[in-house]
Formats: sequence, C-alpha cells, structure tokens
Amino acid sequence: MNGVIKRFRFMAIAAGIMSLLLWFVELPVVYLLDNPDLEAKVKWIPFVHGYIYAFYVLAAIHFTARARFTIKRMILFILAGTLPIASFIAERRVMRQFPLS
Amino acid sequence: MMKISKRELPSKVGAALIVLILCATFIRLGFWQLDRAEEFQELQKPYIERPIINLSQVAIPGENLSDDSINQIVRFSGRYLEQYIAPNQEDKSGVKADWIVGLFEVDSGGAILVVRSVSNSELPIGSVEIIGRLFNRQFDDRAEKASSKLSRIDPALLVSSYEQKLFDGFVLAQSEKINGVEIDLKRPELDPAKPSVPGYYWQHISYVVIWWLMALVVLFLPFYQVSRKRQGNERGN
Repeated sequence: MNGVIKRFRFMAIAAGIMSLLLWFVELPVVYLLDNPDLEAKVKWIPFVHGYIYAFYVLAAIHFTARARFTIKRMILFILAGTLPIASFIAERRVMRQFPLS
Repeated sequence: MMKISKRELPSKVGAALIVLILCATFIRLGFWQLDRAEEFQELQKPYIERPIINLSQVAIPGENLSDDSINQIVRFSGRYLEQYIAPNQEDKSGVKADWIVGLFEVDSGGAILVVRSVSNSELPIGSVEIIGRLFNRQFDDRAEKASSKLSRIDPALLVSSYEQKLFDGFVLAQSEKINGVEIDLKRPELDPAKPSVPGYYWQHISYVVIWWLMALVVLFLPFYQVSRKRQGNERGN
C-alpha cells in the first residue's frame, strides 16, 4: 500500500502545482494580458497539466480502489485534480488517514 | 453470477443507462478535441492561393460570408458612392495607420466596403474595376464612433445609411482600374485571415487522453461497485 500512497501523493502534489500554474499564470496571461511573447512562454502549462492530470486520475483510482473507498469518494478524488488546491487537501487527508509506515 | 431482483431491476437499468450516456459523452468529447487538434494542425500549413473569381460567385448582398469565401481574391466592377476613414488599422507588419475605405456599388447589385489606401486619396468618378482579397468584417472597434469615420470595417455600421443591400465583410483592394488604367495608391497589406483554434496541438491531444480515460473510468466504476459489495458480503459471512 505504501507504494500506492506515495504515487498518489506525488501525483496529487504535481497536479496541484500544475492547476495553480494553469489558473493563476496561464489563464490570466492568455485572457487578460495582450502579450504574445509572454503567451509563448507559458504555452507548455496547459498540455503538461493535461498529461499530469491523466496520470493523477490513474493514481487516484489505484489508491482509492486499494483503500476500498466508496464510488462517491473515488469520484471526488478524481475531480480534486481539476481545482487548484483540492488535490493538496486530498493529499493531506490521505496522509492523515494512511500515515506511511 | 449475481442475481438481480425485480425490485432492483429499474435502478440497475437506470444506472446502466447513465453509465452508457456518460461514456458516450466522454468519447464524443474526446473526438471533439481530436478534431480541434487536427484543425489546429491544418491551420499551421501554408495558405494556398485560389484563382481569382467574380465577387458574385462567392458572396451575396445581405447574406453572411461563407467560410470558403473568406480570403478569396475577387474581381468586380462598379462605382464608388462614398469614402470613409477607418482609424487605427493595423497592417501585416503591425504598422498602425488610418485607412481609406470606400463604399462601392457593384454592377451586379449590392454595395461593398473596399479598403483603398493608407494615404488620403480622391474618390474615383465613373466605372472602376477592382481586384482584391475578401475579408470577414471586423468585430472590435479601433476608434470612437464618428460621422465619416468607421470605428471598425463592418458594413453593419452603414446599414441604416443606404437603402440597398450591403455585402458582408470587406475587400482589401490590390488593384483599382479606370478604363484599364491602374490607380497608383499606397495600399495596406494583410496576410490571409486564419481562423484561430485556441490552445495547442498537444494540449488538445492531452484532453483527448483525459476524456477517453474518463470514459474508461465510468465503465470501470460499476465493476468496482460490484467487487466492493462482494468483498463486503464475504467479510459479513
């Protein structure tokens, strides 16, 4: 179980960081500023976020299935990767409930 | 094999339907993103010029321009009715200037806006033959609204001033001839318009991966539910 939790932790933190970058860096640059140079510099954020989220979903399913969570909790864990700090909260809760041995 | 009682049947069928609908929706969303990725890639290819045709073959007065007609180089003749200034227009090199735009009555019917030059020029009198590229109308104002000025190059601004029907969009003139003699003007240049697809190719592909992954997740959840129940029952026994 330790390996599953570690993978989930890593992906939750990575997805959280990418969500923060997407919501508070990429989206404001593209939609609020009219600066093509800056836009070109942040264009990697949405697609890196896209792939990291896909791996986060796999890690979240693996972890919640191993922990025998309900479907509702599994869905909430999957959705947590889409909001900037929700995956950090999920990661903290997991660490409280399943401290690494 | 799990037995389903008659009482449970409607809820099971309902759940199966929801799973199928969600799965189909996610798969469709994946294909939508795939189309956008392909469209994005298509737009990166260089623009291929098409042969010059008559304006009346690609546009009808009073009707919206079709996607195919945008960027088409067209030929038409007629006479100028009026001339306006369109301030703060930007050419392909990013240089901003006031453009001279004429309202042109086409012989075959209707009137169209023609971008003529970047320098002030007299309105030609008599029959003029024009060749130019057709562009979609502008949507954002570049200047304050004022009489004899166009805040944007959009025939909608002139609809109330003229009785006859106006063509949608505008033509960026490449040549104007009176009786076969070219009018020498400093003309603005624009690259062919590119319809934009927001985002990037690999970004859309990543969304394809996510939507299809979600479809798989939705298919997996009922099996997970069954396995949880079975494990719960075994523990209960």
